Amino acid sequence: MDLESMMRPCDDAQGKLPPCAPLAVPYVPVQQTGSKRYNQMDALASGTLYPALNLPFHLKVAPSSLAESAVLELQALQFVLTELGLYLDTHPDDKEAFSLFQQYARMATEGKRRYEAAHGPLTQKSAADFDRYVWLDSPWPWEYEKEVAR
Amino acid sequence: MFVYEKKLQFPVKIKNTNPKLAAVIISQYGGPDGELGASLRYLSQRYSMPYDELKGLLTDIGVEELGHLEMVGTLVHQLTRDLNEDQIRSAGFDAYFVDHTAGVYPQFASGTPWTAATMQVKGDVICDLTEDLAAEQKARVTYDNILRLSDDPDVNNVIRFLREREIVHFQRFGEALERAKEKMNQKNFYLKNPAFDR
Repeated sequence: MDLESMMRPCDDAQGKLPPCAPLAVPYVPVQQTGSKRYNQMDALASGTLYPALNLPFHLKVAPSSLAESAVLELQALQFVLTELGLYLDTHPDDKEAFSLFQQYARMATEGKRRYEAAHGPLTQKSAADFDRYVWLDSPWPWEYEKEVAR
Repeated sequence: MFVYEKKLQFPVKIKNTNPKLAAVIISQYGGPDGELGASLRYLSQRYSMPYDELKGLLTDIGVEELGHLEMVGTLVHQLTRDLNEDQIRSAGFDAYFVDHTAGVYPQFASGTPWTAATMQVKGDVICDLTEDLAAEQKARVTYDNILRLSDDPDVNNVIRFLREREIVHFQRFGEALERAKEKMNQKNFYLKNPAFDR
């Protein structure tokens, strides 16, 4: 944990509000910098990168189990990018989060390259890297694996 | 401009067909608090937003909601594949089946087609963000209720993920409202509509 998060006045699951807040308008506490984070697989299984925001419903408290597939690792990397991106939209000056965003962007780019080489194009444009027009090949994302074979 | 990626945001692999469950989950495709309305609400509210943080956040959440729309459509599709005679007659699915067979159509669980009357673009910063906070809560409760109705662990994995995203989006919209307020008149946030009164 970095010095900033050790020095901060509020707990990880708490955020900051103005001490004297104008009336008659909604307030949501702002998440502090240096919040604890999950690794990418736990983030995907929890639906959030941040333990402080993981607030499950009583009927389903355990994290999701993730169905194995070739694309799972890439899904996890891109999910962390999505989460960091939304965080940065409201905390654009958080340098630590931005450097993590850069790191995950590099990993996701590499993950996408590996996935496409083994399993085919993720975008129509990347079909140009193959020796025929493989864009149309099944499976499409909504198909259950067994229905592809019929 | 949008570019399609041929993958889901989160894995959806449903082993057992269950048309009765599909007939309630369809509400998060085209129902009053579903993902279609969510994406159109945020992507449409962007145009009148005066602040860069809000243009960015509404774009990014609106795009993620399109990914959720695809996940919910996938749930309905996989829950209704290879239906037998008994299943199409099952209570709760026969009414959907007669109109849409095993297609995925944006409608409420009660059968009303998706309508823009379930969402608003008011063109006012505090008003639109307050609507967005409420919208995330309404979607969260719908996913709570689907978890009450579903005993399929494959479905619950996906619904739990989508429900958690509503909580994260609520947090980010709330923070965006804080950022917006910092730029407004500190004595009276309602002195002007910064989306209209320059």
